[in-house]
Amino acid sequence: MLPFAPVYASLLSNRYLTSRTIPFIAVAAVALCVALVIIVVSVMSGFLEMVRVSGKSLTGDVVVSRPITGIPYYDELVRDIEALPEAEAAAPIIETFGLLRMPYGSGDGGKQVEMVEVWGIDPFSLDRVLAFKSKLYWRAPAAEELATIAEDDPRRDPFFQREADGMALRSREGADGIVLGIEISPFNRRQRDGTYRTIDPRTQAQSSGYFMANTEDVVLTLVPVSDSGSLSGEKKRRFSIVNEVQSGLYAVDESRVFVPLSTAQEMLLLDERPMMSRTEFDEDGRPKEIGTAPARATSILVRASAGTTPERLQQAVVGAYARFYQRIAADPARLVEPPFPDGIDISTWEERLANFIGPVEKERELMRTLFSIVYIVCAGLVLAIFWSIVQEKTRDIGILRAVGASRSGVLWIFLRYGLLIGIVGAIVGALLAWGVVRNINAIHDLLGTPAPAGLKVTAWIAVAASAGLALRGLMRASALRAVSWTFITIGLAAVATVLLYHRGFLVWDPSVYYFSRIPSSLDLNTVVTTMIGGVVFSIVGAAIPAARAADTDPVKSLRYE
Amino acid sequence: MTPDAAHPPTTPGADILRAEAVRKTYRLGRLDVPVLRGASMSVAAGEWVAIVGSSGSGKSTLLHLLGGLDRADAGSGPIFFDGRDLSAFAAGRQNAYRNRDIGFVFQFYHLLPELTVLENAMLPALVGVWWPEWLRSRTALRQRAAELLDICGLSHRLDHRPSELSGGERQRVAIARALINRPRILLADEPTGNLDAQTGSGILDLLASRHAEGLTMVMVTHDLSVAARAQRQVRIVDGRVE
Repeated sequence: MLPFAPVYASLLSNRYLTSRTIPFIAVAAVALCVALVIIVVSVMSGFLEMVRVSGKSLTGDVVVSRPITGIPYYDELVRDIEALPEAEAAAPIIETFGLLRMPYGSGDGGKQVEMVEVWGIDPFSLDRVLAFKSKLYWRAPAAEELATIAEDDPRRDPFFQREADGMALRSREGADGIVLGIEISPFNRRQRDGTYRTIDPRTQAQSSGYFMANTEDVVLTLVPVSDSGSLSGEKKRRFSIVNEVQSGLYAVDESRVFVPLSTAQEMLLLDERPMMSRTEFDEDGRPKEIGTAPARATSILVRASAGTTPERLQQAVVGAYARFYQRIAADPARLVEPPFPDGIDISTWEERLANFIGPVEKERELMRTLFSIVYIVCAGLVLAIFWSIVQEKTRDIGILRAVGASRSGVLWIFLRYGLLIGIVGAIVGALLAWGVVRNINAIHDLLGTPAPAGLKVTAWIAVAASAGLALRGLMRASALRAVSWTFITIGLAAVATVLLYHRGFLVWDPSVYYFSRIPSSLDLNTVVTTMIGGVVFSIVGAAIPAARAADTDPVKSLRYE
Repeated sequence: MTPDAAHPPTTPGADILRAEAVRKTYRLGRLDVPVLRGASMSVAAGEWVAIVGSSGSGKSTLLHLLGGLDRADAGSGPIFFDGRDLSAFAAGRQNAYRNRDIGFVFQFYHLLPELTVLENAMLPALVGVWWPEWLRSRTALRQRAAELLDICGLSHRLDHRPSELSGGERQRVAIARALINRPRILLADEPTGNLDAQTGSGILDLLASRHAEGLTMVMVTHDLSVAARAQRQVRIVDGRVE
């Protein structure tokens, strides 16, 4: 009700909306358009949000990085950074690539070799920065998790609860331990609820025999690189698999492994070792030992303290590194000078992931723009439907004009009618989108599961009933009923056939889309702007038929019944 | 039921409507078809005039022009309502003329199917009011519409839809609608043309009772027995009043 609207316009547009079927088609068109845009943008926004959250949770807020040669005296730098009020915690790591010989064969009797991204870590310091412990998959479920995980989830069994092994990065027998990304092993099968089962590849049955932490060791090969970029001889080390990691980002889970920091340093020749003179030699002609070269870390991951932005932390870390450099460089007892501040990369997590986040952001805006074209379809549908309504309501318009309604009053009836259809359609569309977005993974899971027998039977009963009604329409010589029910029968038969042969299919493939679950984030701004768009384009669609209605000649419209 | 005090009555016997050499031409494809070729007539206040003539003679066209529903040709003679030239009315005044000064009754009733009987009867009153006024006066308006429908013998049908009524009942609703704003003139186009003789006679009795209370009426009909109920008959032949 608008105070400036004529009463009859409100009354009639309300009645036209509620007493007829055709407006509901227009409402459905607007609702579908609004829902479509909201769902697409929500999935894209959720994807972007998950990329951001995952990115941050995988690197910390700020990363100090010096690949290959690393940062000497990194433990001092870590202490300096942790002393900053802007920093909560810092963890040194070694980042490199390597080859991992798996315990299973490649088919020719040998062992399969995977290329992996290797992180040398101290699990406890990494836990303070990235909550490493919570990402270990094989651990005792928390109390609230116990209520939700399936009965056959292996983690209910203490045998699979290997959290302590993962945090120690050592096997129970005292050997060097390695933690693998959970998607590296082909025997880990992801279930639709996001959990994993270890599957015997021959029987496809669940089997603890293929639990990675229960298998033979793996062999990791790393190749050290010197300051000058030349390769030294490769280093091989046998590791016991002690746990697996689920980060949620498929690209990480299929390629990253974690080994002890000291072991990685040793294999890459970045550990503490004697330093030889290039000019002085002993009596045997060997270079003389002049001191000890410090151990190095290639990156330091830093977590911001509460309320500190990554940018502020970045500035503080840049300052801390400059002071660290000056202190070490000025100390004659230090034989190795850290990299000059300009040679160190100190980036926020967003800067590190800019090449990945930027395209996703652009893609979201592109999708928003492309899918907004459906508004034009929406306006076109409303226009077509309103054109037909105005045609049908010509006589009513004549009556209204005969009893004194103005052209603007008639125009307002149909504009208000379009407004109502837009508002109702936008609300229905937003609710529909909300339902779909909230349950998108459940819907996806449903699509991936064969239909239950009861549903198949019900579908075929509906087909039979519909066919009966079509036949009845035919026998009673009602072409409309016969044709309508025939089409409904065909539609139902198609649905029933699909249900009959449906074995489940995977739309969201985690190996393609990075994440194991479909992300979605219902953004209020998107919902509101999309709803406003739906309403505006409904009015746009109604405007031309409304103007035509206002121009209707009352005499012509009343002349004949 | 008496004419609204807000509309000062024309002195009985003085012309309330007068058409002078009115011309109206319709264009059908490339053809200009003259329907009225200089028709003149007048209606005195309180008079009941029947316009008669054969089909296509222009009687309905003349009624539409008198009711401000259509406009005469450029250069046509004027139509006066209460001494004022209708063609000089601005669009808003034209609408107000049709809404308050005139009540229309059509052969095919022309009720709005989505509205109830009561709402159809109230329709011209709804056209005339805006929300603030409606919120103040809706009870009185509903009461007046209910009273009119009671007079028309439809008090038991207020919440029915037009599709649930007989032809005679529909026409009674149309008469109640035409009278809701207390118009000064009732224009009826073949009001009994779609009804059987008995029902038609009842409608004419109802119209006669309104006329007896002082309502000016102009009725188009081709049925001479219906026209005989009027005080005066005006015959149109080939677009001219004989």
